[in-house]
Amino acid sequence: MVSEVFQNAFVLYAIFCLLAPIIFYLLSVILAPNRPKKVKRMPFESGQTPIPYRVNPYPIEYFPYVIVYVAYALLALIAFLTSISLMESAETLFTGILILSIVTLVTIYLSIYMRSLVQKLEIGGREK
Amino acid sequence: MMFELVKIITNLVESLPDSLRSIVKLTLSEAFIKAMIFPGALFGVVLGLFAVWYERKILARVMLRVGPMHVGKVSGILQLVADALKILSKERIIPDVKNRYLFITMPSIALFLSLLLFAFLPFGAGWIIYPSEIGLLLFFGVMAISPIPILLAGYASGSKYPFIGMSRFALQLFGYEIPMFVSLTGIILLARSFDIIKIVEAQSTLPFIFPQFIGFIVFFITMVAESERIPFDIPTAESEIVSGWHTEYSGVNFLMIQFTSYEKTLALCVLASLIYLGGWYGPPVPFVPESIIAPFWVIIKALILFTVLAVIRGAYPRLTISRVLEIGWKYLIPLGFINLLVTSIFVALVSL
Repeated sequence: MVSEVFQNAFVLYAIFCLLAPIIFYLLSVILAPNRPKKVKRMPFESGQTPIPYRVNPYPIEYFPYVIVYVAYALLALIAFLTSISLMESAETLFTGILILSIVTLVTIYLSIYMRSLVQKLEIGGREK
Repeated sequence: MMFELVKIITNLVESLPDSLRSIVKLTLSEAFIKAMIFPGALFGVVLGLFAVWYERKILARVMLRVGPMHVGKVSGILQLVADALKILSKERIIPDVKNRYLFITMPSIALFLSLLLFAFLPFGAGWIIYPSEIGLLLFFGVMAISPIPILLAGYASGSKYPFIGMSRFALQLFGYEIPMFVSLTGIILLARSFDIIKIVEAQSTLPFIFPQFIGFIVFFITMVAESERIPFDIPTAESEIVSGWHTEYSGVNFLMIQFTSYEKTLALCVLASLIYLGGWYGPPVPFVPESIIAPFWVIIKALILFTVLAVIRGAYPRLTISRVLEIGWKYLIPLGFINLLVTSIFVALVSL
């Protein structure tokens, strides 16, 4: 049973893929020094003293892209996975082309009229 | 031919004692050769090392420099081995982070996934580790989960530059996976299969780059973005956010991250050569069997694509994040869908 498993190229390759990081790590344990210091363990802050607790602002201006991309990711996945089954008959192929035409036209329209999705906070409805 | 030679050697091994025989039999088996020599472990590692050296040479030429030349007799070919040893001998610094184990393990998982990509890539009709009817799906299944360790590495680093790099990476990835999938759907429609071997065989008369030229351009741009290379290297932009999501990594973890990046790029180059450039089909070479020359064509085509990537890296400046997102939204997604629509209409007309 075990010998049969080792006759499978994928199993052997997966074992190698698992072992490769371990081999790298073991080599590092042998070759690299280990002289821990408090200053080495501090997060990198370009020479500034790191603040122990902080809140990082998330770039909210690009959030509309995420919303649009999530919707399109679903469409892309559906197209990718159903492409072969859509070709099984003329009827499904026609339906597929019809849906794809609508999606393509809507995408072109949106990409022309919604040029930049970057969200900017404006004071009083005007740019500062 | 090579496997016949292996069979002859196996017969010679029959005279060995039982305990030794089983070990030698395993090492001479087709599965072991595929997994550990070609197109598996040894090939992946050598190709990765060669790619780094080759890219440095190309970049040097673009910038009118010489590049690596001192280590190793031929054009500094051993420079990369020296570099790897140097990085391995650097101290493994683990910063004071909340998610220590997440921080340590993520580069290893990223490397595991990037190496695993090669299991689904055929270098000839018989030269594949895991032949499957859904090879392309499996490849993109692994591709789809490969950014997760990177995002978690940025998250686990717990400082501002990795966090900004991680959020940039997530945005870039969201935007560029969609056109990549859409452009690939065109290929699947033409070949009518998810099997990469069948996709290559469908190109025996004409490589898919000709009927799928728009798809190829879209795929190539998304490929550059997926592998975080200039001009799409905003997640690791050195001059802006130090080193992005891997700022806190050093020593062996940094080495694994770099290796992961090159392996992923090479896997994508090999895939592009298989699905767009005709894979192992090329001009016949006299006195060389087709099964031997097949991997050679795949590697040559993949290296041509890698050369283009290296030249782009040397010639173009980095794009801003807003520009990267704009290109994805304004050009790549519409172009991907136009390409898919034209392809499906063409397929429908042919099948009528």
